Amino acid sequence: MAVSFDLYVPRDTAIHRFDPRVKLAFAVEATLLTFLWPTIGVMVALIGVCLLGFWRARIPAARLGGVVRLLAPLLAMVFGLTAIFGTGEALIAAGPLAITVDSLVRGALLALRLLALALIIFLWLFTTDQAALVRGFVALGLPYEWGLTLALALRYLPLFAALFEQVRDAQQARGLDLEQRGFRRRLLAYRPVLIAMFISALRNSEHLGWALEARALGAAGVRRSTFRPLHLRPFDWFVLAILGVAFIVAVALRIL
Amino acid sequence: MRVPADILIQNLFFAYPPLRPGDDAVPVLKGINLQIGRGEFVALLGRVGAGKTTLCMALNGLVPHATGGVFRGDVTILGQNTKTSAVPDLARMVGLVFQDPETQIVQMRVEDEVAFGCENLGIAPAEIEERVTWALHAVGLADYRARSPLRLSGGEKQRLAIASMLAMRPQVLVLDEPTASLDPAGKTAIFKVLAELRARHEITIVMATQELERIARFADRVLVLHQGQIGQDGPPDEVLRQVSRLQEWGIGAPQMAELGHLLTQRTGRTYRFVKMADAYRELSRQARKLHLEKGRGVAGGTRFSSRRAKTDQPQIVVRELSHTYPDGTVALKQINLAIYPSEFVALLGPNGSGKTTLAKHLNGLLKPSQGVVMVEGQDTRTVRVAALARLVGYAFQNPDHQIFAATVQEEIAFGPRMLELPRPLIAQRVAEALDRFRLIPYADLPPALLGFGQRRQVALAAVLAGQPRTLILDEPTGGLDWRSQQELLEAVAHFHHLGHTVILITHDMDLVARYATRAVVLLNGEVLFDGTPQELFGQPELLGRARLTLPPVARLARRLSRYGLAPDICTVAQLAAAWQARLMARKGKRGGQKWSADAIARPSASASSKARGSDGG
Repeated sequence: MAVSFDLYVPRDTAIHRFDPRVKLAFAVEATLLTFLWPTIGVMVALIGVCLLGFWRARIPAARLGGVVRLLAPLLAMVFGLTAIFGTGEALIAAGPLAITVDSLVRGALLALRLLALALIIFLWLFTTDQAALVRGFVALGLPYEWGLTLALALRYLPLFAALFEQVRDAQQARGLDLEQRGFRRRLLAYRPVLIAMFISALRNSEHLGWALEARALGAAGVRRSTFRPLHLRPFDWFVLAILGVAFIVAVALRIL
Repeated sequence: MRVPADILIQNLFFAYPPLRPGDDAVPVLKGINLQIGRGEFVALLGRVGAGKTTLCMALNGLVPHATGGVFRGDVTILGQNTKTSAVPDLARMVGLVFQDPETQIVQMRVEDEVAFGCENLGIAPAEIEERVTWALHAVGLADYRARSPLRLSGGEKQRLAIASMLAMRPQVLVLDEPTASLDPAGKTAIFKVLAELRARHEITIVMATQELERIARFADRVLVLHQGQIGQDGPPDEVLRQVSRLQEWGIGAPQMAELGHLLTQRTGRTYRFVKMADAYRELSRQARKLHLEKGRGVAGGTRFSSRRAKTDQPQIVVRELSHTYPDGTVALKQINLAIYPSEFVALLGPNGSGKTTLAKHLNGLLKPSQGVVMVEGQDTRTVRVAALARLVGYAFQNPDHQIFAATVQEEIAFGPRMLELPRPLIAQRVAEALDRFRLIPYADLPPALLGFGQRRQVALAAVLAGQPRTLILDEPTGGLDWRSQQELLEAVAHFHHLGHTVILITHDMDLVARYATRAVVLLNGEVLFDGTPQELFGQPELLGRARLTLPPVARLARRLSRYGLAPDICTVAQLAAAWQARLMARKGKRGGQKWSADAIARPSASASSKARGSDGG
């Protein structure tokens, strides 16, 4: 369903109110840590921090569950594949495959790191609306046109998903059999769907271009202003400082 | 002192670049001269493809700056010539709202959307805040500031688009068929917002539209675009009364004007009204003068025929059908319905009542969450959609969702080819469809490049070419002009007369009155009513609950029922005939000979094909 593309969960919590740049800083720092300090303990700690964040941001458990369910097969696969290619003293061995203590730990680490990364990113996306996200990037120096392009992409993703469903329904209703066996046949069967969608998308983008011009985008001799400009509040600065200190401490501990 | 016109158009000629290299440019506007003053609410009428969109886009410079093409003459907005100004700079003076709300909303939050234009003009945040509040208030969306536009209804999206333009404080607001894809409630809300803006803020409004009935009420000036020129220009009462001319031009007239025209022709008297209130006043005055009152017989009345024989096996059976979408929305609850061969079923109800969800169950695109749908004896859960398509054809609301082929011919042949019909038969079906829909001149052109009206015809022709036993039409008339609607519905009626079953999803009660043999009303996923249109029209309380309104002529007939009109009249032709009969009866008693018998006996050749509803019975 189209709704699943709308990641933002509107709430009024401290985490939602953070400046998007603070949340971005957290995401970047946490991501770096998963690579700089790849131990199971650190992964578990990061996952814990994220879960705390989800709880404080009052993200419904169902949304989080959806993400985890989506990831579960991948996590299981990463864990399984890493675990069975152990070298050294095998706990269980079968031909060239061997499960060792070491490979189990490595598998768990990789799977946990993946989970941690996913949670970090979703914590950011669930609590930051798209406009704030884009303003965050622009405030960090990204050109406005790029930011607008990103915003439009985010806005049109659900519309294209809906368009795809409608076009597929319309062509099936004319007798197009999309339930064919075999990849090649199925791909060929999708041709009318893809072409009709492409034509509609072209038409839409032409109209979108007109609409943007009619909204004075690119007016000559104007410095664009920002409605709801971003301000780092003292609390944002405080959190940024904590994040900075935490990072330095973590790196120092890691090196020493 | 004379106030200079907000909009001044002089000798405007415009031709689009040719569709294929080497062809000639396609002229659309051929010498437009026009002045529009401050605070006017101008409605722009014209057939699909007459150049309404082009004229709207010329007002903010998109024509020719964004479209290219040959442009001669001058368009001056508040003294500024569009030739020498860029579109974004003209945006300070002219706001343009397009037909499709989806492709003009660019932000993920209502207030950001409204602020976007102001940001582009470099306005200070504090003032933007003020303007956003004002604009959202003006369109009645003040409580929606923090919502995502994805969660708004079509009508709300269109009001948001209007607010986004208002926030830039333009003097002129141009709207290109803003209500074409909206339900009646959405349409009314837009017209009310515009009337308010004109009255309170002296905003000059130019609106291209096909909404004849609402124009008669709201606009102060009507322009008719015909063959590239302004064919008519004047107050609605004057322009809309030219019924024969407007019909000849393919634009049609409001029901009241049509009624006046028909009565004038048949009785030799002159009836001059365009609005309901005037029609009521004039007819009731006449009735009182002639002492027509109840108790002296009732004239008129509808004869709905249901061609269903009691012994027929139902073609489609829906039993205890419930449907819940994956996101948890319950769209249908315990629906029971049997559809018989050769019925013409109108499926009615407000947006979100489950009409399309139900229709998609009838050709297997959706499968029941609970209950069963049987199509000609087959359970839809066990049959592929592609196989069901042989039995049930489905014409979608937006023709662009199905158009993909390189030529019109191939597009029409696609359905029959999917049904694996023999080649000669396919060729025959395609030839028939091209002929019936007057598409022969376009047979080898790419359908995607045709105008909207023709794309819709191609889409319907393509579905009919498969000759399904049952045809489902989802809002087939939105955005079409009067003539295109007539042509499309004649094709559907013809298909129905051949013995096929038709299921029509619509908001247009006039279509229901003229064509349907049965009406099914859905509300909140349940069947609220199932019976003849006649029975439905007699239940005002139920109609109100389902947010359906009777056609104007049916409302007038009910108001006039105390003068001996049957209250179940619901088409213009019926009302005209009934009134004429009342006058005749009266005349007969008095023995007067005011009108020639000839004028009365004349068959309704001059009546529009709106008469179809009565002569089918």
